[in-house]
Amino acid sequence: MTGSASAGPLAPFRVLDLTNELGQLAGRMLGDLGAEVIKVEPPGGDQTRFIGPFRGDVVDPEASLHWWTFNTNKLSATLDLTTAAGQELFGRLLDTADFLLETTPPDAAAAIGLGVESIRASHPKLVHTSITPFGRDGPYAHWKATDLVGTAMGGLSSLCGAPGRQPIRPTASQGFAQVSAQAVVGTLIAHYQRTRTGRGQHVDQSMQEAVTFTHDNASPTWDIRGINNGRPGNGREIGGYKSGQYVYEAADGYVAALSYGGLFGLTARQTIAWLDHHGMARDLTSEEWLTKLDATQGVLIPPAGPDADYLNETLVAFCKQFTRAQLVAEAQQIRNGWGIVHTPRDLLENEHLAEREYWQEIEHEDAHVTYPGPWAKLSKTPLSTRHRAPHVGEHNDYVYGELLGLADDEIEQLANAGTI
Amino acid sequence: MTTELPDRVFEGLRVADFAWVGVGPLVSKYLADHGAEVIRIESSVRPEPLRRAPPFVDDQPGLDNSGYYADFNSSKQCASLNLQHPDGVALAKRIVEHCDIVTESFTPKAMRGWGMTYEDLCEVRPDLIMISMPMYGLTGPWSMWQGYGHVLQAAAGISHLTAYPGEEPIGTGVAYTDFLVPHFAAAGLLAALDHRQRTGEGQNIDFGQMEAAIHATETMVLDYTVNGREQSARGAGHQAYHPYNTYQCAPRSGDVGGDDDDRWIAITVTNDAELTALLQVAGQPDWRSLSDDALDARIAEWTRTQQAEALMQQLQEAGVPAGVVQTPEDLRNDPQLAHRGHFWFLDHPTMGRRAYDGPSFRLSETPAELTKAAPLLGADNEYVYKEIVGMSEEEYINHLVSGAFE
Repeated sequence: MTGSASAGPLAPFRVLDLTNELGQLAGRMLGDLGAEVIKVEPPGGDQTRFIGPFRGDVVDPEASLHWWTFNTNKLSATLDLTTAAGQELFGRLLDTADFLLETTPPDAAAAIGLGVESIRASHPKLVHTSITPFGRDGPYAHWKATDLVGTAMGGLSSLCGAPGRQPIRPTASQGFAQVSAQAVVGTLIAHYQRTRTGRGQHVDQSMQEAVTFTHDNASPTWDIRGINNGRPGNGREIGGYKSGQYVYEAADGYVAALSYGGLFGLTARQTIAWLDHHGMARDLTSEEWLTKLDATQGVLIPPAGPDADYLNETLVAFCKQFTRAQLVAEAQQIRNGWGIVHTPRDLLENEHLAEREYWQEIEHEDAHVTYPGPWAKLSKTPLSTRHRAPHVGEHNDYVYGELLGLADDEIEQLANAGTI
Repeated sequence: MTTELPDRVFEGLRVADFAWVGVGPLVSKYLADHGAEVIRIESSVRPEPLRRAPPFVDDQPGLDNSGYYADFNSSKQCASLNLQHPDGVALAKRIVEHCDIVTESFTPKAMRGWGMTYEDLCEVRPDLIMISMPMYGLTGPWSMWQGYGHVLQAAAGISHLTAYPGEEPIGTGVAYTDFLVPHFAAAGLLAALDHRQRTGEGQNIDFGQMEAAIHATETMVLDYTVNGREQSARGAGHQAYHPYNTYQCAPRSGDVGGDDDDRWIAITVTNDAELTALLQVAGQPDWRSLSDDALDARIAEWTRTQQAEALMQQLQEAGVPAGVVQTPEDLRNDPQLAHRGHFWFLDHPTMGRRAYDGPSFRLSETPAELTKAAPLLGADNEYVYKEIVGMSEEEYINHLVSGAFE
C-alpha cells in the first residue's frame, strides 16, 4: 500500500506522528485534512493501543476503540527510537517529512533524538510541534498530567460541577481534545509562514494553557470584577452572575434551554407567549414580570432569589408535559435556541446528521464500522475519512521501502534486529 | 544573502469578520494576533450580543465596556455598518472586495437574505475564502436552528458525559463548544488558506459546529456503533484509572466551613509506580490493600488537612500526576502561565488596562503578538471606508448622515 491519496487541502504534505493520548487527535485532524500521517510506534505497538474500551470488551491492541478513533486516516511504521540505529533511521524519515508531532516529556526528548534544537538545526524546513502537559519549559515543565489534572490546572474543572460538591470533568477527555485541536492551529500557522519563507519553526503547545481557553468569561470576570465564576451546577455564570437552570427534564429525556429557558433576556416576550399559548405561563404575562424579564432594551443580568425560583418552577412544570422534539421545535419557531441533550444513540439516529451524510462507514477486515465524518465541509478540497486505523507496522514496507528506498533484505535485517 | 523576513505571519492578509459571540471572533482572533488585518463589521442597531454581556468595567453596561467582548477581540479593527440599511449590503460588498477571508456565524438565512452567500461574494472577490459557522451547518433540516455554546455542548453529546454519576446531564458550567470548535474551524480555514497560497483558488467552508464538537467525545461514538453501549458520565473519574478524582483540601485561611473553604486537588494514578509514590507521600503504604471506594475515602480524609498547593508540589515531585483545581484567580497567579506569558495586558480607551488571553502555543520564530485592545464599535470607520474602500470625504459623510454606519 502506498500513502493515502486524498483530495484534502493538505494532500501534498507528510506528518510524522509520535504522540500519545495527549496529542493523537492532532495527527488525526491533519490526516482528515488530507495529509499523509505516519504514526511512528515502538515495535510491538504503541501504548495507546491498550487504552479501552475494546471491541467486545476483549483487550487486544488491534481492537482498541480508542486507537481506532484517534488513528483513522493514519499509517503505521514501527521504529525503536531508543537505539542509535533507530534514531539514524528516524533522521532519514524526517528528511521526507513536513511536520513532526510529538508528546515526549521535555527532559526525555534529547535522549531519543527528539531534541528541539538539534532537529531545528538538522531540519530547518520542518514544522516541529511539541505537545506537553505544561509546556517545554518553566517551573512545571517536568510535571506530569492526566486529562483531569489538565482540566484542573487549566481551570475548567473549577467551572464544572455543582456548588458545594466536588469539581468534575467531562468524562470524554477535554484536556486532550483542547490541546490537540489548538496544536493543529499553531502548527498550521507555522506552516503558513513556511509557505512564505521556506523556513520551518518549533511550536511549543501546553495542555494547561489550552484549557485556559475554555473559561468563557471567567478570565475577564476576575480581571474586572474580582469575582471567581464558580461551579454553577445546572446552569452557568456570566460575569459573576448566576444564570437560571439550563437543562430541563422533558417527557422523554432532557432539553438544553437557555438560562430560564429564555424566559429572561432578549427572548422573554415570545417565550412567555409560548408558555401562555399552552396555558402554562402562570403570572408571567403580567406587566410587572415583563418589566423584570424583557431585556431587549436593557442589560443581560439575570434575576435571582424568589424570582429565579418562580421561573424555574414554571419551566420545570412546562417541560415535563412535552417531548424533547416538540419542545425544541416549538422553541426554535419563536427564535429561542433550545437544543436536545443527545445521548450517543440519539446522535446516531439523528435525522439532521443523516441528511448531511455525517456518519461514515469505514471498512475493517471483518466489519464495517460507523465513524464520525468530516468536521468541516470544504467546497474545493474536501476532508475525508479514507481508511481505518493501522495495524502495528502495517506500512513498514511503504515507509522504509518506498520512502527511504531500503531493499527488502535491509528491511528484514532491521526487523530482525528489533529496530523496526 | 539576506532576505527580508515578514515579521508577522499573516501580514498583508485582510479579513472581513461578520461573526459574533464566541465561535467566529475566536477564529479571527488567531489571525489578528498573528498579524492579519481583521475588520469586525458590527452594528449598533443590532449589537454583537457580547458587547451587552457582563462583566462590565465598574459594573457600568455599555457597548464599549464589556470584558467578555474584549477578551475575544484583541488586535482587531471595527467598522460599523447597518446591513438592514438600504446601502448596507452594497457597502459590505465593497469591504469584502478588499478582503481575503470572510467569516460569519449567523443562521444561514441571514447571509442568504442579504445576498451575501459565498457565491454572491465571489462576484466581487473571486479568490475569496469564506467560512460559515452556524450551529448545525448550512444545510439539513436543522440548519435554521439557533443556539449557543451552552446548548450545543448538550446537542453534541458532551453534556451527556458531564454529570455526577447517575444524575442529570448538567454539562460544563461554560458555553463549552464556543471554546472548542473555533480551533477546528481555524484548522479548516488555515488549510484552505494554504491551498489558496499554493493554487490561487479560494473556497467555501460549511462548518457545522455540532459536527466538529462530536470529535471531542473520545470513544463515545464507537463504543455505541461497535459495542452498542451508551457511555455515561463518571463525575471526575476515569473508566480505567483509580484513584482518579478531585479531593477537598484545607482552606487557605484554616477556617473550615468559612467562605474560602473550597480548595480542591486532582490526584490521578495511571500505573503501579504512581500508586506507590502516592501512598509514600501519604505515609500510608498499607492503603494499597483497600477497595477503590475505601481508598478514595482515605485520600479525601487526608487531603482535607493539607494545603492544596503544597500537596501538589509534593505529589508532582514524587511523580504523581496531580494538580490544584485552579480558579480564575489562581490562573492569574500561576507561575507556569506567567512563565509562558499567557496573559497580555492591553490599554483600552474606555476600559483601561485589562488582561487578555493569548494563544496557548508558542511559535519559535513568529510568536503571537496581541497588538491592541478590543476595538470600540466603529472605531476604524474612517480607515476602513476611506483608505480601504476608497470613499471620498463627501461620500463618507453622506453615508454617515444616512445612518448606514449605525
